[in-house]
Parts: sequence; structure tokens; C-alpha cells
Amino acid sequence: MVKAKKQVIIFGDMRVGKDSPNRSKRTPTVRKVKSAIVPVDRTKGPPAGRPRVETGGAAVADLGAPTAPQPTLAEQAALDRVDLSVDLAPEHGGLRLANPILVASGTFGYGIEYGEVVDVGRLGAICCKGTTLRPRAGNPPPRVTETPGGMLNSIGLQNPGVDAVIEKYGPIWQGWKVPVIVNVAGESIEDYVEVARRLDGVPGVAGIELNISCPNVGKGGLQFAIDRDAARAVTAAVRRATELPLLVKLSPNVADVRPIARAIEEAGADAISAINTLSGLAVAPDRTRAFLGNVYGGLSGPAIKPVALRIVYEVAQVVSIPIVAIGGVTSIEDVLDFLACGAVAVQVGTAIFADPELPVRLADDLRAECVRRGLDSYRPLIGTALPKRMGASSAKGAEYRP
Amino acid sequence: MRLVAAELVESRQILPGQWLQSFHAPELASGSRAGQFVHVRTGDYSGLVLRRPFSINTADPATGIVTLHFRTVGRGTEWMARVREGENLDMLGPLGRPFEVDPRSHHLLLVAGGLGMAGIRMLADEAVRDGRQVTILFGALSASHVYPSNLLPDEVEYVVATDDGSLGHHSLVTELLPDYEAWADQAFACGPYPMLARLAQLAAGRRARMGVAKLGRKRGAGRADPLGSTAARRKAFLQVSMEQTMGCAVGACLGCSVIGVEGPVRVCREGPVFAAEEIAWPASA
Repeated sequence: MVKAKKQVIIFGDMRVGKDSPNRSKRTPTVRKVKSAIVPVDRTKGPPAGRPRVETGGAAVADLGAPTAPQPTLAEQAALDRVDLSVDLAPEHGGLRLANPILVASGTFGYGIEYGEVVDVGRLGAICCKGTTLRPRAGNPPPRVTETPGGMLNSIGLQNPGVDAVIEKYGPIWQGWKVPVIVNVAGESIEDYVEVARRLDGVPGVAGIELNISCPNVGKGGLQFAIDRDAARAVTAAVRRATELPLLVKLSPNVADVRPIARAIEEAGADAISAINTLSGLAVAPDRTRAFLGNVYGGLSGPAIKPVALRIVYEVAQVVSIPIVAIGGVTSIEDVLDFLACGAVAVQVGTAIFADPELPVRLADDLRAECVRRGLDSYRPLIGTALPKRMGASSAKGAEYRP
Repeated sequence: MRLVAAELVESRQILPGQWLQSFHAPELASGSRAGQFVHVRTGDYSGLVLRRPFSINTADPATGIVTLHFRTVGRGTEWMARVREGENLDMLGPLGRPFEVDPRSHHLLLVAGGLGMAGIRMLADEAVRDGRQVTILFGALSASHVYPSNLLPDEVEYVVATDDGSLGHHSLVTELLPDYEAWADQAFACGPYPMLARLAQLAAGRRARMGVAKLGRKRGAGRADPLGSTAARRKAFLQVSMEQTMGCAVGACLGCSVIGVEGPVRVCREGPVFAAEEIAWPASA
């Protein structure tokens, strides 16, 4: 009998760990320290005579267009001068990002999956997959499907549980200069608090993003995100449990998001992420059942951008904490739109699947846009589309604040 | 895994609604193994936001040509069918884990249902190259859907079954498995889920039924390889290539999970090839 030769086959996902290429790249970070979000001077607006780059068809078509030619030394110097850094939690030790382009929870795994294709060190921050106290197997397949201009997903928070996440990924994240924000989900306030407590002080965990679009088992399955008091309670409880920077992710599936946003701010959140997916449904091809194993799914992608813009626009007028916008970002135009509506940073989600390099390119594009407008920071771009006079939107009686 | 610009060099319709496209992509052609797939970006992001996964049908490192075989089933594949020669497609790959052939296996049984041929086609090339004997069992709806035999290596034994009996055996392809069970050292399958489930059911317990002695080293006998490991798959009689709607295809989104016996497994990362015993098949199959 001939003895078989031993074959050694190495797979990408098995190499994470000691000899992962990302670990060897640890470099000391020098970040510009600047004050947090500077309030927008709304009297100025964007400089006249520098029209916005044209929007429309091009914005869609050039997703993944070949990269621009190398800048000259002078151009590079101008690009380097632009300050894209932002602090999302100045009151709780700071959550300073090198640039305002994050990757959204659920679309980037734990940061290692795209490791060979994407240079994670150039991202503003990574929001990792939703993490719960105990391991979860998630929903029955199929779990994703494409819809016009978007996709539906119902993963069902499949994850190995907070302890496994800390053990497996904490050491990897610790070696990265990019902050990792752990997205936290739970079925009761106690769940959220316990996860936050275990994440507190873990090296490599830069912050927490609360996914409050989960059913609250203690309150009959009502989502935290659609109930102002529940949203306030869970935010306050987590705030007491941890000193980590705390983001809370709003759900769009509510009649009016503003009271909920205000409650979250009052409860001590450092920043608000908006928005989570819209609840949706797809039908199986044979029309005998719903397509997704879980029946309902969350809609994401370019299709939901107008909804996200509306919610960011509304929330920006009622809270003073930073807003991180999410929803259909696929181009620099989308980034600028969200900034104009009052967001200080944006998360890229679904578009990563088609174009994994997009988030890194958007940061470069934002830098170039600032140079083109003669700005040394992107802050003047924030909030330019918000109503110039207080109370403009109260004309319809929608809002009145003395 | 890398992002590759693959130039379309030839596109032809080999069967009604089924296309065979050749791309010049040396990085993919030389770095891929049978069973792996590529994730192809569609042209119109405003409408189609997801890439489309395709098994690598063949890969020739000498010419740098990879081929994809697909059926037009929706807007993404319809767009692919209209791509002109000379245009570049953005492909992410090679992705997933390949088929694992036991070095001692001389008789390989490949079972394909319809488009499943694309999933096992490259394994036929690899096996013939390595001097193994290959039999392909192919199932289709009718004679007009049968994969052309001139697209297969000459060395391959090609057995066809059609659902309506218009060509070859008048049966489901799965019902041919018992005839070849004794001949085959290992079986590899790709096709619709019910077909794979039926094959898994037929193949279960084969070792005991056939009285196959455990070969190999005495040392370490009794220590089972962990489920899903390369070593365990290499020893498995039946390996299946699974299909699932996919998001990221790199293991980040968990969208393509199927239910395995030890919990959900990602088709894009732990698969698309699984040993049949890794999957929790429905009891009724």
C-alpha cells in the first residue's frame, strides 16, 4: 500500500490568530487630537462659486470605477492637511476615528473576513456583527434575498456569544489601530447590561453600539426601539454598566423617531446611529410562502437611503449628540448628503458586498472633496441642509419647542 | 481571495438559456481548485446590489482561462448573458473550500443535476489529470437539457438520466447511485437540494453495507477527525456542493448559512463543499 502524501491546505479563515498577516502590521498610531464636533456655523453654508460635484447617474455608475491617477506631491500635501478625524464620545474617554467612514454591523463580520481584500487600518471604525450574551444559531435559511435597489436579510443574530467573541477576536482587535465598536443585542435589559459589563475594559473594544431593534421578552416582545420608555431604560441601564463609548442604533419602523432619539440622548448615549433596516417581506417564487426562512427581513441598500436621510434630518434637529448615519451609502454623494443632513459620520453596509473597497475609497473621496472646496476639515459640510431658522419645520405643527 | 478584473473572451449559449462564458483571469485560473467559486459583480448597482456566486466550471492555468456555466434565471444572469467580449467583469475569488479527493480513491463518481454540472465539471478535469477513473451521472428534465458530452474530457464515462425518459435512463439521477455504489471509491455531487438530500440518504451507512475496510495508518485509529476538517472530508464517501442565496460570500454576513448537524454552517466559508454527514438533512428526504 502506497502511503498517501500528506497534503497541507491552508484556508484563509484558519490562519487568523498568531500568524495572521494583520497582527504583524501593528504600527504605533499618531492621531491628530482635535476638539470634538464643532457646532456648525449655519450662517455660512458651503462656499459660493464651488458648486457641488454633479449628482445623478454618475454617482451610481462609478461605484468601483478605476482609481484616480496618483496625486502630485503638492496635491498629496493638500490631501494630508485635511482633518477627517472625529470623536463620537468626547464625554466618555473619547471614541476618536481617523475618518468618518465606518462599516456597518452585520456587513463586515468581525473585521477579519475581508482581511485579504480590504485594508482595515484605513477604515474609520468597524461595527462588528451583533453580539448577544449567549450563543445564537440564528434564523432558518434562506436568510438573504435581493430586492430592487436593496436586499432583505433575516440572519437572526447568529453569533457565538459575547465571551467567545472577546476570546477569539479581542486579541486580534487589540493589534489594530482601527477602533472596533461591538454591536450588542439582547432580549432583556439584563442581557444588554451583562454583555456591556463583560465588554467593559476588554482591550481592543473601543465602544458599544446598542441594537435595540430586538424584541423585549420582558415586555411581551415589543421592540425596545419602538417604545420610548424601553429605549430610555435600556440605554440608561447600559450607561450605568459601562464607561465605554455608547452608540444607540435607531429603528426606522416607528411613527415618529424624535421622542425616542431624545430619550436615548437623555439616558446618556454618546451618539446615535440611524438607521437600522426597514421591516420587509419577499414572496417565494412559487408564491406558496414567504421567501425568507424567518418570513420577515430587514431591508437595506440604496432603496432605503431617502428614509435614512429623513430620519437623520429629523433627529439632527432634536438632539445635540453626534449622529452616525446608515442607509444606502454607495458613493461620496451619499456621504455628503448625510453630512448635510446633520450626520457627523456614516456607516457603509450593503454596498460592501458588491464593492469591498468602497469604505476606504469613500474616505479618500471625502478628503479630495474637502481639498476641492478649500477646506482643511470636513466639519463645515455637516448640517448644511438643515433648516436655517429654528422652528421652520414647526409651521406644520409637527414640532414646537419653547 | 482577491478582486480580479476578468475579461470575457468568449460567450456562447450551449443549451436553451444556459451559457458558457470564458474569461481571461490568470490569477483565478492558477489559484483555484475544483469546488471553489467566484462572486461576480453585476453592472447595475442601482438595481442589483448583490454579487452573484458561480462555481468555477473549468480553470486552465496554462492559458489563464476560467469558464463559468450558468442559466439565465433573473436580472443578474440576464445581464451576464449580454456582456460583450472584451468587457471586464469584477470577480471576487476564488472563494470557499474545494472538493477533497482521497489520494487512494481511483474511481470517482460525480453526480450532477442540471446546472449542478458546473459544480463538478472542474473536478472531472482534476481527476483525469491525476489518472483517476471518472463516471459522471447526469440528470436533466429532458433530452434538450442534457449537457453536451463534447464539453467533457474524453476519459470520462458519461451516464445520462432524464425525468421524461427522452434520453438515457428514465429515472431520477439519484436512483442510479446504488448501481455505482460498489464501483465508486468516492462520490461528489452538485445539484438541487432534494437531489443532494436523497443522495445523502442513499449513501448513509455505505461503509457498513459494503463491508468497506478502514484503510490507512493504524496509528491514530479510533481518533476521529473533527467534523468539517479537510481530513474528515477526504475520508467521506459523499461530498456535496451546496447552493444558497448569498450576501458577502466571504463569511461576514452569515446570510448563506445552512443547517449542519453541529449548528449553522456558512456555504461560502465552510462550504460550498461539505461532507454529506455534516449537513442536517430533512428526515423526509
